[in-house]
Amino acid sequence: MSQESARPAPPRGRRSTGLWVLIVIILIPPVVVPLWVPLYDKADPTLWGFPFFYWFQFLLIICAAIITIIAYLLSVVADRKDRADRRADRTEAER
Amino acid sequence: MNGVAVAVLVFLFLLVTVMGFAAARWRRADLTSLDEWGLGGRGFGSFIAWFLIGGDLYTAYTFIAVPATMYAGSAVGFFAVPYTIVIYPLIFLFLPRLWSVSHRHSYVTPADFVEGRYGSRSLGLAVAVTGILATMPYIALQLVGIQVVLQVAGFGGSNGFVKDLPLIIAFVVLAAYTYSSGLRAPAVIAFVKDALIYIVIIVAVIYLPHKIGGWDHVFSAVKTSFDSFNKDNAGAIANKQASGKALFTPPVAQWAYMSLALGSALALFMYPHSITGVLSTKNRGVIRRNAALLPAYSFLLGLIALLGFVAVAAGVKVDNPQQSVPQLFENEFPSWFAGVGYAAIAIGALVPAAIMSIAAANLFTRNIYRAYFRPDATPGEEATVSKLVSLVVKLGALIFVLALSKSFAINLQLLGGVWILQTFPAIVVGLYTRWFHRWAVLLGWAAGMVYGTWVAYDQASPAQSHFGSPLAKFPFTDTLVYIAATAFIINVLVAIVLTVILRALKVTDGVDETSPDDYAADIGDESVEPEVDPHGVAHA
Repeated sequence: MSQESARPAPPRGRRSTGLWVLIVIILIPPVVVPLWVPLYDKADPTLWGFPFFYWFQFLLIICAAIITIIAYLLSVVADRKDRADRRADRTEAER
Repeated sequence: MNGVAVAVLVFLFLLVTVMGFAAARWRRADLTSLDEWGLGGRGFGSFIAWFLIGGDLYTAYTFIAVPATMYAGSAVGFFAVPYTIVIYPLIFLFLPRLWSVSHRHSYVTPADFVEGRYGSRSLGLAVAVTGILATMPYIALQLVGIQVVLQVAGFGGSNGFVKDLPLIIAFVVLAAYTYSSGLRAPAVIAFVKDALIYIVIIVAVIYLPHKIGGWDHVFSAVKTSFDSFNKDNAGAIANKQASGKALFTPPVAQWAYMSLALGSALALFMYPHSITGVLSTKNRGVIRRNAALLPAYSFLLGLIALLGFVAVAAGVKVDNPQQSVPQLFENEFPSWFAGVGYAAIAIGALVPAAIMSIAAANLFTRNIYRAYFRPDATPGEEATVSKLVSLVVKLGALIFVLALSKSFAINLQLLGGVWILQTFPAIVVGLYTRWFHRWAVLLGWAAGMVYGTWVAYDQASPAQSHFGSPLAKFPFTDTLVYIAATAFIINVLVAIVLTVILRALKVTDGVDETSPDDYAADIGDESVEPEVDPHGVAHA
């Protein structure tokens, strides 16, 4: 493993912090709602013959996937900002 | 024996065997290094990773066991769905950090990370041993999955050895191509496995209910069947000699449902084979993108679970609930398609079994052999040891299933889930903070392991006197909760209290060889080089 001697200093006041907070916040419901069993542990209303207990959990899979896709897209933007900041820090350090 | 179905099964098995051996030439590289043999060169993109990780996590045993619990009348088995929903937001957040630090420090196993982060070889050993112990019975259960299919397909001869011969051949062939191709073999076979599974399940959930009379008929037939069972066995249920059947989670079991889902979700990515899949990806984005795309498998798993109900509605009668879905295929599908269904399950066992044996072998090589016996082992030597150990691990699993009772493997797999969750504080908390003292983490792990093992041993069910259930009463209450979750809480409490005490006593803590920016490093940063093709494009 190669260790370089001068690592860039930790970035000051990163511009991406707000985005990362937003990502964490939107990822909370996909973790909490499926674990909140009393919310969906019942038969009615049924959909296409499926009791609520079953179709609601299938619906949750789709919703969670959509939210995670949004989180992924946000993370791409946040990563790009982090990368630009790190590059700026590095050029500053070299000067 | 169903001749056409068996012919289809054998043909598809031969096809993946050829692919498994040919995989050594795919993305050609020097397979005498552990990074290449054991992590596929750390170069898999989103597409391959989706098949590989999906093929790895959703195993044949899952496809047999989940509908089996539904068939047997326990709607709690459907917890597999929330479990596989909750997991992806969690891995979205923490796995990229593990990927980054592992790339910067060339870690191959989760135990490598723990050893480096806490500066403690013994903590690394604890994580490695837990991983190996939890993985072995899991491999054995993949064999159980193949066995179930072979029985339904009609291989169940009278002579003991002849009966087991197909299983032995399948496993020897698997061992041979895993030995020669490493992680590339399951990565290639995963394409076939997943394609087959998707085709079979989509056909099954559209064709079968249509044939039987629609989903509302399926649910009402299941309700009638369960109600009459409960009425006929009311006395036995009251005496706890039998378990009642239900279409929903009874209110008293809601905590059980929730804790099983959460506990299993937290545990899944502590399994060495899941981490092997993750570390084989080529950048952080691959992991995040997959967290958003892998739920497709969760949907599939939910549908497979419901096949247990379809089997009830279709009047499938089997003594072993694990045979319900293969038997459903046998009864309702044309022979050739039943063969495709068997192949989907059997090949579904090969992919995870290969990855698990590679992961267990890597743990042994890195955290036992290199850490304690040969600190200056070369990458070539590591690869040789891993290859041999992967054979030993598979042989062990085979003997396990053939010589010992099947329920022993199932009990141990239950324990494996309890055990592996106890490595969570060392690994995941370690990804965020070094606040925990190394000895506190080790003792917390030990407390969780002892408590979990003891309580799991203590659970009786109508069928067996020990290891009867993954659930136990939460201390000081009557609420049934997943044992792993309770053990995990005890583990964390012990780690917190001891950290405070050890810090107050100023006991020496280990040296952390990682630095904060290691956890955000990505391909293109210094010392995070793409390893498969240094001249290629780093970004996809």
